Amino acid sequence: MAQSKLEKDSENCSMLPLVHDIIKCMDKDSQDVHQELVKLKAKIHEAREQVTNMPGINSTPLEQQQQLAMLQGQVRTKNQLLQKYKSLCMFDAPKAS
Amino acid sequence: MAAVAEKSTKERLLSVLDDLEVLSRELIEMLALSRSQKLPQPGEDTQILELLVQRDREFQELMEVAQQQGKVHQEMQLLEKEVEKRDSDIQQLQKQLKEAEHILATAVYQAKEKLKSIDKARKGSISSEEIIKYAHRISASNAVCAPLNWVPGDPRRPYPTDLEMRSGMLGHMANLPTNGVNGHLPGDALAAGRLPDILAPHYPWQSSDISVGMLPPHHGNDFGLEPPGHNKENEDDVEAMSTDSSSSSSDSD
Repeated sequence: MAQSKLEKDSENCSMLPLVHDIIKCMDKDSQDVHQELVKLKAKIHEAREQVTNMPGINSTPLEQQQQLAMLQGQVRTKNQLLQKYKSLCMFDAPKAS
Repeated sequence: MAAVAEKSTKERLLSVLDDLEVLSRELIEMLALSRSQKLPQPGEDTQILELLVQRDREFQELMEVAQQQGKVHQEMQLLEKEVEKRDSDIQQLQKQLKEAEHILATAVYQAKEKLKSIDKARKGSISSEEIIKYAHRISASNAVCAPLNWVPGDPRRPYPTDLEMRSGMLGHMANLPTNGVNGHLPGDALAAGRLPDILAPHYPWQSSDISVGMLPPHHGNDFGLEPPGHNKENEDDVEAMSTDSSSSSSDSD
């Protein structure tokens, strides 16, 4: 649900339609230009809020990929370690010679 | 360029948003100014418009990147949980291994102690025949069972008297006085007036070279040693004692 909301926001994150509306109002000498200006300001403010609250963007994609690889490596190593301990046969009876 | 590449996605997004705000304001102000003054636009607004479109496209691309990073972030959170779970498993396993080590160390110590005991027992091995002989002897001396015709005052008894205890190994270890000055003599022995007889006894287990749990080395030679109070009159009693010890030893088996 949150993911679909983000995708929808991403599709609607362009500022150009609002700028276009403002220019049209100015061409028509319409009084709605102030409203359109307020809308643009609100849109920019909303976008700023959204960017501030987005998770996982405090690093570059490259750094994030490196962190992901490191975590995957940790999980793999720990799994191997646990598997190794589980498969140890320390208490096997010695074979009679 | 390298500095731009090192910036985080959030910083880049906020920077592009600032640019968008500034450019759109400039464009609108410029258009408003040109309309009020009725001046022909020299093309500057077109450049600003192009910049605005470029920044807007960049903003959308960055938003897509940010969404991808959000998905990666979720994956990373799952991996972090996985790592925490594995850490917990490893710690649990470590704890169990420590417990097992402790148990095994205890078992090894006990096994070594047993081996030492076995080795010691092998070095000082005694034949069962000698043990049976010894059992016969201590039963014949009324050491385990009183004679059938025992009455108060009779020194033959299945337990050692106070003086016998004092003259034994335990008495020597505790440095107890053996002269009976501070000790308590048995009342029946005093009453019977047989003190010299009591002081005189010589039991094999009172020998100075007896070690705890071992037979005296010369036990084979003095097998026929008669205990105090032992004479022909109570020969039958001795026989009864021997029978008792035999039956008790067979019972124990």
